[in-house]
Amino acid sequence: MIGKNLSIMHPRPSSIVAALYTLRDLNVDVAILHGPPGCSFKHARLLEEDGIRVVTTALDENGFVFGGRQELSSLLVKVNEMFKPKLIGVVGTCASMIIGEELREPVEDANLDVPVIEVEVHAGYPDNTKGVLITLESAFEVGVIGKEELERQKVLLREATLVEKRHGAASKEYLEPSRGDVKYKVAEKVVRLLQEGKKGITIMNAKKETGYMFADVSAAVNEVALALGKEGNVVNMANIDDSLGLPRVRHHAKCITADLQERGITVHEVIGGMDEYPVTGEKVGELIKQKYSDYDFAIITGVPHAIPMEALEGMEIISVTNGPRQVLPLKEMGHQHVIVEIDLHPKTLGVNHIVESEFGATLREVAKDVLGR
Amino acid sequence: MKDQKRIAIYGKGGIGKSSTASNVAAACADEGYKVMIIGCDPKSDSSITLLGGKRIPTILDLLKQHLDVNEKDIVFEGYGGVKCVEVGGPEPGIGCAGRGIIVAIQKLQKVCPSMNDMDLIIYDVPGDIVCGGFVAPIRKGLVTEAYILTSGEYMPLYAANNICKGLAKIDTPLSGIICNSRSVTREEEIVRKFSEEIGSRLVAFIPKEQVVQDCERDGFSVLEKAPKSDIAQVYRDLAKSIMFNDQSILPGSLDDERLRELTR
Repeated sequence: MIGKNLSIMHPRPSSIVAALYTLRDLNVDVAILHGPPGCSFKHARLLEEDGIRVVTTALDENGFVFGGRQELSSLLVKVNEMFKPKLIGVVGTCASMIIGEELREPVEDANLDVPVIEVEVHAGYPDNTKGVLITLESAFEVGVIGKEELERQKVLLREATLVEKRHGAASKEYLEPSRGDVKYKVAEKVVRLLQEGKKGITIMNAKKETGYMFADVSAAVNEVALALGKEGNVVNMANIDDSLGLPRVRHHAKCITADLQERGITVHEVIGGMDEYPVTGEKVGELIKQKYSDYDFAIITGVPHAIPMEALEGMEIISVTNGPRQVLPLKEMGHQHVIVEIDLHPKTLGVNHIVESEFGATLREVAKDVLGR
Repeated sequence: MKDQKRIAIYGKGGIGKSSTASNVAAACADEGYKVMIIGCDPKSDSSITLLGGKRIPTILDLLKQHLDVNEKDIVFEGYGGVKCVEVGGPEPGIGCAGRGIIVAIQKLQKVCPSMNDMDLIIYDVPGDIVCGGFVAPIRKGLVTEAYILTSGEYMPLYAANNICKGLAKIDTPLSGIICNSRSVTREEEIVRKFSEEIGSRLVAFIPKEQVVQDCERDGFSVLEKAPKSDIAQVYRDLAKSIMFNDQSILPGSLDDERLRELTR
C-alpha cells in the first residue's frame, strides 16, 4: 500500500476537459457530454472553435434520479443525422458517472454505423492526464489508435504528470496567479542582449496547439536579431517533429513548420513532437552540452518548467508561459524573467497559422524604437 | 479467462443473501472448485463466516485512507481456499454507496488478476436494485447470471418481483429463485408458483433451522461447523445446481394485484 501525496487547493484542469481535448486530437467530429448542460461549458464552447461539435445530453434533476440512457441514445441518433460524423466521442461527467450511468448500452441502443469512443470519466482525478488516458484506452479498443501509439502516449502522460508535480501547477498546495514580469521591460532586455552581441537560444517547448502562438516569440526574436544584424547569434530549437503524435497534433507541427519556413526562420534543432513537451528536456540538455554551451541566454516558451535547470547552466533565462500559476514555480527554479501570454489558448484554437503573441509584438516594437534612435 | 461462473445474488435486505452465498461458496470449495466471494454489503457478513468470525479490511476502507491497494491488501483466503473480498461502504447517511460499489469493483478488476482463475465468483449484492451503482457488477460485464433470494412473505416477494423488472431492463438473465424459508404457511408452494409465473424456476428451498444461526454466531459456515447436518446437504445441492445450471431466462414480472393474490 502506498499513500497518496499533496492535496492541491486551487482548481485545476479537469479530466473531462482533458478527455474532450484528446477526442479532438483524435479528430472526432462530434463529442457528446453525457451530463448536465453546464458541465465544462467554457471548454466545450472553445473546442467548437476548433472545428468539432460539442453537444450535451443536458441531464437535469430528473435525469439524475431516473438516469439518462434514453437521452443519450436518442442524442446519438440525432447527432448522426444532423452532422454525418465519421467518428463520435461520448464523455461521462461527474453527475452521470456517480449515478452509475453506463455508456455502452445507449451506444448499442443507437446502433450507428459510425465508431463511437466511449469515455467513462469524471472530474474527480487529481491528475487530469487520467482523462487523456481513459480516452486513449477507449480509442484503442475501438481501433482508432494502435497499441504502439497507446504505449507511447502512456509514457508521455506519466512524464507530463511528473513535470507538473515537480515544478508546475501541481507542485504546491496553493499557487497565487500572477501576470509575471512586464513584457516591455523583458523585451528591452532581450534587445539589449542581442545588441551587445550575446548569443541566445530560443527553445519552443509547446504543448500542441499552443505552439501557434509560442512560435511567434521565436519568430520575433529572429526578426529582431536580423534587424540588428545579429542573426548569426540566434539558434532555434522547437518541438515540431511532424511525424509524431495523434493526427491533429501532427497537423499542427506541419503548419507551424511551414509558417516558420515561409518567414525564413531556420529551426536548427527539432527536439521532439508537439506532444513530447514533457520529455524534451533531456534532448535540449544534450544539445546544449554538445554545441551551445557558450551561449549567454535562452528564451523558453510553452512548458519552460519541463527543461531541467542543469541543461541551462550559466545562461540568463527568459521564459514565456500561458499559465498565471506558473510564474512563481519558474521564478523559484531560477528563471530570471517570466512572462505570461494571457488568453493564449482561446486564440490558438481553430487556427492553422502562427498567431501573434503579445511578447512578440512588444519585442518588435521595442526593436523599432531602438533602431530608430 | 477460463470458463467461469459469475453470479450475483439479489434479494430484499435481511433475507439471508450473505449466509446463503457463503454456504454455497463453502460447498463449492469442498467440491474442489476455486471460488471467490465478493461481499458488497457494508456489514461484511458474506466473508465473516468463511474466516472464522474475523473481519477483513474492505476495499473502500482502504481507498478512503487514500491508499493505493494491491491484491494482497483486499483478498483474503478463508475456508476451503475461498477468496474473500469485501467492498464496504460509506458511513450511514453520508456519501453514496452505489458509487462506492462502482469504484471498488473497478479497483478490484484492476488489481486482482487471480479473479481470472476462479471457477465461481459470487457477488453478494446489497438489497434491491435501487440505483445504477448497485448493478455495477452486471453493467461492467462482471456478472453473467443472477439468482434471487426470497421467502414466501409478501415483502421479500415484492422485492424479488422488482428485481425481476430490473434484470429484464438491464438484459441480465435470471437463473433461478432460491427460497430461504421463514416458515410461513404454504411457503414452498407460493415461491414455486411465483418462480413459474415469472418464467423461472425454484432452484432450492432452504428450511429455517437454528443450526444456521448457531454457526453464524460462532463465525462459521454450516459446511465447516456442521457438515453432517441436513441443511449442509441442502446447500451442497444448491451449489451443485448453480455449478451445473445451463438454463437462464430474462424474467417477466407480476402485477401488484397478482402478487398479493399469490401470497394471500
